[in-house]
Amino acid sequence: MFKRSFSLTRIQHIKRLQSSSSSVPKYSTSFLNSNVSKTTARRSTSFLNGHPAAIDTSNKVNPDEKSHFETLAPTWWDSKGSQRILHLMNLARMDFINEILRNYKVQLNANNSNGSKNDIDTDLYIPRFTTSVFPTEIKKNIENELNAAIYKELQKSELTVLDVGCGGGLLCESLARLPFIKKIDGIDMTPAVINIAKQHQSLDPVLAEKLTYAVRSIDEQKGQYDIVTMFEMLEHVDDPKEILISGWEHVKSNGGILFLSTINRDLISWFTTIFMGEYVLKVVPLGTHHLSKYINSREIIAWFKEMYPLSHEVLQVKGTMYIPGKGWVNHDCSNVGNYLMAIQKK
Amino acid sequence: MFRRVPPLKRINKASSNISTLGSSIVNVINHSKSTTPLLSNYYSTIAANENNSSTLPVKSTDILIVGGGPAGLTLAAAIKLSPNLKHFKTTLVDAGNLSENLPKFHNLSSSAYMTNRVVSITPQNMDFLTGDLNLPLQFNRIQPFDGIYVSDGLNDTSRMTMDRESMGNMVELLNIQSSAYMKLLELNANNNTNPIEIADNCKVVDIVKPSTTNATANGVENTNPWPYVKLDNGETYKTRLLIGCDGFQSPVRKYAGIETRGWFYNEWGVVATMKLEYPPFNHIRGWQRFLPTGPIAHLPLPGDWATLVWSTTPELSKLLVSLPSNVFSKLVNAAFILEDGDMQYYYRKLSDAAVDKRIFDEIIEDIDYRIEVKSQQLINKNNSDMYYVDENYPPPIKDTLEKSRARFPMKMFHADTYVAPRVCLVGDAAHATHPLAGQGLNMGLGDSKSLVSVLEKASSRGLDIGSVDLCLNDYWKDRYGTNMMLLGVVDKLHKLYGTRNEVVVGLRQWGLNVVNNLGDVKEFMMNVVSGRK
Repeated sequence: MFKRSFSLTRIQHIKRLQSSSSSVPKYSTSFLNSNVSKTTARRSTSFLNGHPAAIDTSNKVNPDEKSHFETLAPTWWDSKGSQRILHLMNLARMDFINEILRNYKVQLNANNSNGSKNDIDTDLYIPRFTTSVFPTEIKKNIENELNAAIYKELQKSELTVLDVGCGGGLLCESLARLPFIKKIDGIDMTPAVINIAKQHQSLDPVLAEKLTYAVRSIDEQKGQYDIVTMFEMLEHVDDPKEILISGWEHVKSNGGILFLSTINRDLISWFTTIFMGEYVLKVVPLGTHHLSKYINSREIIAWFKEMYPLSHEVLQVKGTMYIPGKGWVNHDCSNVGNYLMAIQKK
Repeated sequence: MFRRVPPLKRINKASSNISTLGSSIVNVINHSKSTTPLLSNYYSTIAANENNSSTLPVKSTDILIVGGGPAGLTLAAAIKLSPNLKHFKTTLVDAGNLSENLPKFHNLSSSAYMTNRVVSITPQNMDFLTGDLNLPLQFNRIQPFDGIYVSDGLNDTSRMTMDRESMGNMVELLNIQSSAYMKLLELNANNNTNPIEIADNCKVVDIVKPSTTNATANGVENTNPWPYVKLDNGETYKTRLLIGCDGFQSPVRKYAGIETRGWFYNEWGVVATMKLEYPPFNHIRGWQRFLPTGPIAHLPLPGDWATLVWSTTPELSKLLVSLPSNVFSKLVNAAFILEDGDMQYYYRKLSDAAVDKRIFDEIIEDIDYRIEVKSQQLINKNNSDMYYVDENYPPPIKDTLEKSRARFPMKMFHADTYVAPRVCLVGDAAHATHPLAGQGLNMGLGDSKSLVSVLEKASSRGLDIGSVDLCLNDYWKDRYGTNMMLLGVVDKLHKLYGTRNEVVVGLRQWGLNVVNNLGDVKEFMMNVVSGRK
C-alpha cells in the first residue's frame, strides 16, 4: 500500500525514498484495520493514496470542497454563528502555538547564539522545577520575569509565517496581532473566503502592515518561512501528501516549525466530528467533513520518518477535544479525534 | 427585589465622582456642593460640540482608561507591567490635576496629616499592589490592623470580636493613586517606545459610536466599530477598548447603555480624620458599632491618627459636618459608649441650638460626665479593672483634623453587565456598596486583577481585546458573582442593623453572640472580610 503511494509522488521524492528505509511503518496498517469500518477502509485506503480520480493537478483542492467553503464565507467571522466551533478551536491552536514557541523557539535562539552572540541573551534561564513551592509573591516575581524575558526573546526573533488554507483568516489575524510575528502570508484556494478575509482585515489597523492574503496554491507560493501552518486543512484536500511535501519545502531549515492539525481516522472521530458535530448538535456546518479524508497522527509521524529521516523532529503532538460549554481542551491522547502537531526542520 | 435606579435625577447631587479625587488633598470633598463635572458636561456639551467640532486629528489608541482614581491608575500600572499587554498603546484620561497633586503627595516627607479618604485593603489585594505591581507605596502612612470589634448600639452585651493577625490595611486613596502614578512614570522612563499617555485636567465631554457606514473601509460593514471619545481640550481619541473607571456616574457606562440596579440608603456617611488622645497600646483594631441611625466605624491609622466613617440620617449628617470640631469629637466618643437615648438627646439639643454657642460647652461637659459614669458602670458590672474600657471600646479621640469632615450618600448598585462591545467597566463604575464591610475598593482591585488576566490571555491568543464574545465576557463571568455575593451580604447586614424592631433587635443580639461563639461561622465571615477564600 505504501509502496504504491510513494510511486505516485514526484521523482525527487522517490529518489529520497529509495535511499531511506522502505519498511512499512508499524502502526498505520494495523491501526487502520482495527478501527475503520470496512466501507471506509475500502473507499479511503490511507491518506497516502489520495483520491486519484478526483485529483486536479493544477490545484489540489476538490471543487466540492471549494463550493462548500464558498457558501460558508459570509458568516465566517460571526463568532456566534455557524463557525463558532472554529472560533473556539482557534483559541486551542493559539495556545498550542504559544506553548511550542515559548518552549522551543526560545531555546533555539539560545542554541544558535554561538554564531551571533551580541543580539541574543544567553543568560535566559528557564527553571525546570515547579514554581508552586514558593510563596505567592516570589512565585509571581519569577513568573513575571520569566514571561518578560521570553517575550523579549521572542520579539527579537521577528518570525515570518505562512498559513496554508487560511480560510476567512481566523488564525492569520490572531497570529498577526502577536507582537513577535513580523509578517504573515495567508493563502487559500477559495476566492470567496479570501475576499472575506481581506474585508475583515481592513477593520483592524494593526493588521494592515503584517498580513497579506492571496488566492494561491502552495506550489505557487515563493519563499521560506519560520513557521508554516496547516490547521484543519489536510482533511479537506485530495492529496495531503503533496501538500505536506510542498509545505515542508517552505519551512526554513535550522529551526523552522511546521504546525498542522487534522483528525484521526477512527470511529470516535466519526462520532464526534460528523455524527454529533454535523448531524446531532449541528455545531459544524453539514458536509464539512469526510471520514475518508481523515489522517491518523501516527501515519503522519511515520511518513515523516520515511521521507525526512534526518531533517525533522516531531516536537509535540497533542489531542484536542471539544467540551460543550468549555471550548476546546488540549490533551495528551493524540491518537483519538482531533490533534495538533508541531514538527521542526533541522 | 431589585428596583431600578431612576436614571440620574436622584443621583445628580449625590455623586462620588472619582475624577475629583485627584484634585483634593486635604480639602473637604463636599459632595452636596460638587458640580459633578463629568456628568453635567456630558449632557450639556453635546449640543455645543456639534457646532464647535474640533479640528484636531483623531488620535488612535488601543486601551483608553477613563478615570485616574485608584482603580484606573492601578489598572494602568498592571497593563503596562504585563509582558503580554505592554505593547498596547494605552491612554488614561482624568479631570483632576494628577501630574501636580500626585507627585506632591508622594513626596510628602512626614505623616504630619492624614487625608480623609481612607479605605481598607485586604491582605490579598495588598499582595496585588505590592507583589504583582510592586507599587512604591508610602508604608509609613499605612496601618495594618488585627481585627474588628463589632458591637450593637442597642445592647452593650452583644458583641463580636473578629481578631486575626493582619486582617486588613488602612490605606489612603491618595497613597494608592500616587504610588501607581509614580510607578507609571517609572515605567515610562524605562520604555521610551510605547509610554502610557496620561491626559489629565481634561474631562470626557462625549463618547460616540461612529455610524457603521462611516467606520467601514471598502464598504465592509463593521459590526464592532471603535468608539470616539471627545475631551474638553478639543482632542478626540478612537480606541480599541474603552475602560470605564469613572465611578458612579460613569459616562462610559452610559455610552454602553448598561443598566444598573440598586438604591440609595436614606443615609449619609460622614468621614473625618481624627487625632487620638493616645495611640492604641493593645490590639490595633477597627471598631464598629451599629447605631439605630446607621453604623459608625473607627479605624486605625498610623500613630495617634484614626479615621471615621459615620453613617447616619441625611439631617444628622448635615449637622455633624457643621458642628465645631471639639463638639464633634466628643460626640464620636459618646457614640461608641453611651446609649441610644443619650445620643438622641444630644442630637436634639444640637440641632435646636445651632445658633447659641454656649450650649456647646454644656454638651461637652455633659458628655464627659456621662462617659465617666458609664465607664464606671461597665467596670462594676463586669467586675473588671480600669482597663476594661480600653479593652472593649475604641481609644478616645482628642480632636478632628481641620477641614477633614465631609459627607457622601450611601448607596448600593450593581451594573447588569460589566462589558459591552469595546467597553468594560471596572470598580465603582460597575458597583457600589455600603462601606460597613470595607469592600468597595477591594472589589475594584479584584476587577482590575481579573480584567488584566483576561486581557493577557486574549492578547496571547491574538484576539481583538475589544470583542465581547471570546474575550471580555470572561471578565464579567469571573467578577459578577463574587461582587454580587459581597453586595448582597453587606446589604443584608445593613438591613438587619437598620431596624429598631424589638424582635429583630433581640434576635440579632442573640445571633451576634452565637456567631461570636461559633468558630467556623466567624472564621468564614473573617475570610469574606479579609478577602481570603
